[in-house]
Amino acid sequence: MRSAWRDALPYYPLLPLGALIALVWANAAGESYFRMAQALAFPVNDIGVAFGLASLAQEVLEAAGPDGTLPSRRHVWLAIASGVGGALAAAVAYAIYVHLAHEQVLIQGWPIVCSVDVFFGVAVARSVFRRGASVSTFVILAVVSDIIALVMISWRTCVAAADPTAWSLILIALLLSLAFRWLGARTLWPYLLIAGPIAWVGCYWAGLHPALALLPIVPFFPRARRPLADFDAHRHDRSSVTHFESLMAYPLQLVAFLFGLVNAGVLWRGVDTATWAVLVASLAGRPLGVLATTAGAAISGLVRDGDVRWRDVSVIAFIGSIGGVFALFLSTTVFPDGPLLMETKLGALATFAGAPLALIVARALRVGRFAPDRQG
Amino acid sequence: MRRLLLVAGIAVGLLRTASVAQEASFLPNRSGSLKFAAIGDNGTGEQPQYDVARQMDQWHQHFAFDMVIMLGDNLYGSQGPADFVRKFERPYKPLLDAGVKFYASLGNHDKTSNDTYAPFNMNGERYYSYVRGDVRFLVLDTNVLDGPQLEWLETILRESREPWKIAYFHHPLYSDGGRHGSEVELRVKLEPLFVKYGVDVVYSGHDHIYERVVPQKGITYFVAGSAGELREGDLKRSNMTAAGFDRDRSFLLNEVAGDDLFFEAISRTGVSVDHGVIHRRGTP
Repeated sequence: MRSAWRDALPYYPLLPLGALIALVWANAAGESYFRMAQALAFPVNDIGVAFGLASLAQEVLEAAGPDGTLPSRRHVWLAIASGVGGALAAAVAYAIYVHLAHEQVLIQGWPIVCSVDVFFGVAVARSVFRRGASVSTFVILAVVSDIIALVMISWRTCVAAADPTAWSLILIALLLSLAFRWLGARTLWPYLLIAGPIAWVGCYWAGLHPALALLPIVPFFPRARRPLADFDAHRHDRSSVTHFESLMAYPLQLVAFLFGLVNAGVLWRGVDTATWAVLVASLAGRPLGVLATTAGAAISGLVRDGDVRWRDVSVIAFIGSIGGVFALFLSTTVFPDGPLLMETKLGALATFAGAPLALIVARALRVGRFAPDRQG
Repeated sequence: MRRLLLVAGIAVGLLRTASVAQEASFLPNRSGSLKFAAIGDNGTGEQPQYDVARQMDQWHQHFAFDMVIMLGDNLYGSQGPADFVRKFERPYKPLLDAGVKFYASLGNHDKTSNDTYAPFNMNGERYYSYVRGDVRFLVLDTNVLDGPQLEWLETILRESREPWKIAYFHHPLYSDGGRHGSEVELRVKLEPLFVKYGVDVVYSGHDHIYERVVPQKGITYFVAGSAGELREGDLKRSNMTAAGFDRDRSFLLNEVAGDDLFFEAISRTGVSVDHGVIHRRGTP
């Protein structure tokens, strides 16, 4: 567990600090905390998080690009199927729980449980598997799940507020990015200062969460190769200003701190139906979904028995149950400030319990660093 | 035998107390005043809800309130057509037959689609406003207190010219209920508007107790979430508790007469558990 935290820290150095301050503050002086959190929610969640998501997208794209390193095609398809299956099962588990609890108002929160905390999950995966195909498999599974969650949330709002002018702005931002790429722009500034704001206004106007604004632009950013299993391997080598995370290193730390500060302030007595629904869906629904999908793929012959290492898949399934910071963010996009958001956030934070759970499963099944040949 | 007599004596005493309490209501019952009842967390369809409803009907015989405000969780559990009968229409039938109107707000256990159920008088709106006499009632949906709702609320409050402004919704901004307590994140959004535009009284449910809170920034807050459900002993009294009752179910009677709002909380057995008068704050 300690090594998982150590691996996660490069991504979240200040986020836990912000979250800790928020938790103490909210429970000690709730009124002043919520006043601050609501004042900062817009700049942090709607603007700052856009840079955080762009950074994640850039890393994944580089790893998945033509020069990146991926596991075999069969593994990729299995990971994608597992991501879809896990997300679907989590959503179904959430819906069943909410239905049985007769709190239909919570049903709109189902996309929250589709999300997986990629950064923290990778850290846990690496603490178990070190390097290799299992970590890559987890990353693909997590990214697929997050894409499903974001698309579901965005689709609902887009349908509600379809506006051709807004979509035109997003298209203009895309065309500008294409032009910068075609002109061989070697720095990120034109993308961030010209295309970015246009896309942001377009998203805001279209009813899309504006934190998603940079995602369609990221594919046009200058890129470098990196291995998926270890996608921060060359973090310290990439000092070029053409690299997003190098350019944004300090601002992103500030965003992470503020994100924790603004979103993690929950009242302990806020535990209620949505908290349990998120927890049950994440810790039980998703692992079952991942395992069932993998079993289905094996039974149907899409993958050979030899392609699947069931013990590894079991651990990956539990690592995937960590909705963590991603679930926390998605909660804020689904529910406005109020008791339902509070309950959901508590559930999102509680999914960090998936980390020790995965380590326990790994130890019990003697997977990765717990394998007999890796010990002693 | 002596014990039996003692028990019988106590029972008779309690019944007489209830009866006396009914007859000696603290409400002025003036003609022309606006009279209304408040119930929250009522829709269980179980015997205690029926007992409270019967008590409301008995009080209605001599305190003819015109309307009932519902503070959410109007129906628990399944919410099919038969449930509306068992959990609403049947217990409140005498009141409905007497022409008493119910105006509902949505709780976390209510289906959003219940806003189209005609006897709730929500007209398909999850938040709405109406005027009765000198009172502007503001009914909010605190499940989803989003930007458009807050903008709507501010517009209504700004344009309201009625002397009294009363808001009601499910989640309490102030509560000493041990299970839920104050919803502080809602408070920081709503209280500034209530203070700025002169809201006088706020009613909520969610915590299954009765509590009257010491006026906060000039506004009196009631928690009346025990007209069906009850969380016995859940009231954790603090320095903001003006009065409370968590031993049995209860409902609240109110009368707006001129610049005064008289209130009286009645238990399931008809005992008056709190009463008083609130003076209008006046236009800020």
